[in-house]
Amino acid sequence: MANVQLRQVVKRFGDTEVIHGIDLEIRSGEFVVFVGPSGCGKSTLLRMIAGLETTTSGDIEIGETRVNDAPPRARDIAMVFQDYALYPHKSVFENMAFGLRLRKTSEDEIKRRVGDAAAILRIEHLLDRKPRQLSGGQRQRVAMGRAIVRDPKAFLFDEPLSNLDAQLRNEMRTEIKKLHLRLGKTIIYVTHDQVEAMTLADRIAVLSGGKVIQYDTPDEIYNRPAAKFVAGFTGSPAMNFASAEISSDGTSAVVGNVTVTLPESLRTASAAYRGKTVVLGIRPEDISVDRSAGVDCTLVPARVVVTEPLGAETLVTLSIGGAELVARARPDVSLHAGDSVQAQLASAKLHLFDVQSGVAIR
Amino acid sequence: MNGGVFSPARLRFFAAAIVVINGFFPAIWILLTSFKSSIELFRKPITYWPAEPTLQNYVVAAIEQPLFQVFMKNSVIVALLSTVVSLVVASFAAYAIARLNLKHRQLILTAIIASSMFPLVTLLVPIFETMRALGWLNSYMALVFPYVVLNLPVCTLILVSFFQSIPRDLENAAMIDGCTRFGTLWRVVLPLSAPGVFTAGILAFVNAWDEFLLALSLNSSAAMRTLPVGITLYQGEFTFPWPIIAAALVVAIVPVAIVIAIFQERVVGGLTAGGLKG
Repeated sequence: MANVQLRQVVKRFGDTEVIHGIDLEIRSGEFVVFVGPSGCGKSTLLRMIAGLETTTSGDIEIGETRVNDAPPRARDIAMVFQDYALYPHKSVFENMAFGLRLRKTSEDEIKRRVGDAAAILRIEHLLDRKPRQLSGGQRQRVAMGRAIVRDPKAFLFDEPLSNLDAQLRNEMRTEIKKLHLRLGKTIIYVTHDQVEAMTLADRIAVLSGGKVIQYDTPDEIYNRPAAKFVAGFTGSPAMNFASAEISSDGTSAVVGNVTVTLPESLRTASAAYRGKTVVLGIRPEDISVDRSAGVDCTLVPARVVVTEPLGAETLVTLSIGGAELVARARPDVSLHAGDSVQAQLASAKLHLFDVQSGVAIR
Repeated sequence: MNGGVFSPARLRFFAAAIVVINGFFPAIWILLTSFKSSIELFRKPITYWPAEPTLQNYVVAAIEQPLFQVFMKNSVIVALLSTVVSLVVASFAAYAIARLNLKHRQLILTAIIASSMFPLVTLLVPIFETMRALGWLNSYMALVFPYVVLNLPVCTLILVSFFQSIPRDLENAAMIDGCTRFGTLWRVVLPLSAPGVFTAGILAFVNAWDEFLLALSLNSSAAMRTLPVGITLYQGEFTFPWPIIAAALVVAIVPVAIVIAIFQERVVGGLTAGGLKG
């Protein structure tokens, strides 16, 4: 088990810089998820930690040792690939034993470790099979088994669930979480799926354009996003955004012809924006159309544009001051397109972002 | 329509039959000839099937002919050595072209293809002069070295295409598991490219086994001749012992047939199936 430290890490492909001086500290035993849209550099960063890509400048340390120039085999890490990357010509047992054999581990020890890992992953009955005889989920387990048996300093996962169907993905996500609780190892996990990031991570690094936009706990990422990009990336449906103008006295934000009262904290933070346009953000669960008015709510007139019953809840798209915002409502809510309602916006849950930079105003 | 005389299936069968008969007729004719006596061979009307089959030609060709076993040994050594060296060198070359960040990769590949375009006869004199300067005339090296050079382009091209078809993540996984670059090539890339390696091996072996011009020109001493050259010398100034030559040819084909039979079993596609998603 070891911590992983990135200091001013830069990656260039020719003249194109794809990773722009990233600083990150991953504590020993921590589960950190790199999340971001495709092309944000999250996989490149992971491959740099693995040693599969060179580091143009900056330092990468694993367990206090600088590994920039060390080949992958010398970094004592294990990696699970998106496409599993099982050796097709070797049995499941040999796939898992391969790394141990290369390290001259004794045959008894190999059998013990492969047996233990197979038991954890419930694949003991598959050890004699070839990868082509396995289902997607089984291959994924074998790939994880191959990583576990090595007992490395850190595990790297590169979008390991993206090839599985939805149900299997949920199952395996739980398995990975259980595995982390059981092994307590440092895990760096790359995904573009914010649900995976939120459910698995101790801390999430949200990347965009080769930079870390926010590195924080899932709770902070969700409730106190540092930028509009982070706010829009997490949550399903994502946070609602509307263009708003801060009133001249700084107590409210005006969306179209609707005035939304700002909480005390945002009034102070947005002092510099009085009379200027900002982006107002609010999550669907913080807009209510089916509850009695709370204490810290702003009541605003709204018109129902469309309702989407999802079984456990209903999503109601509202037109508020010309902006369309989605609200989360009870499944039995009785609303129809065209209905006029009073929507309650939870003042304490409002977010403001700078129009140009997208940085949170707080 | 399907049951008609000229149904597509029948036409396809006849077309295939014509190709097969055309390809195999000389070989079958040599095989049949090898069991006939000289008298029967020239008898009219022609007997297609040996009327009085005899193994005497084989005895004369392979046992009584004092140098046949020497020719056979020379051919086996030259063909095997040149095949092994070709495969080793071509593997490294192909891996470098397929995987490393080489500058001018396309130019290198084009140059390799271009180098195989020269007719052998144009290379004969330079090769002869080189071998003479090296003092390698009348030695195995005189043939092994040029055969390796001649086989390299085709072996390299075959292996490049196989190596490129192997997903890079398999190599990445091997390197993280503890392999060096060479270890990755040896333990993962080559086993997965087995069909390509065997295909290249068969081609290299057959090319070396069949080669006549260089073998005739560079190794003139009787003890260093290979089978193709040795067998042509069975004919005398005024005599053509066709049945004996035919028997020698049949014996000469046997090692090639064995090599192909062994390797063909290994040339199975779909070996990489299942390593990745899907």
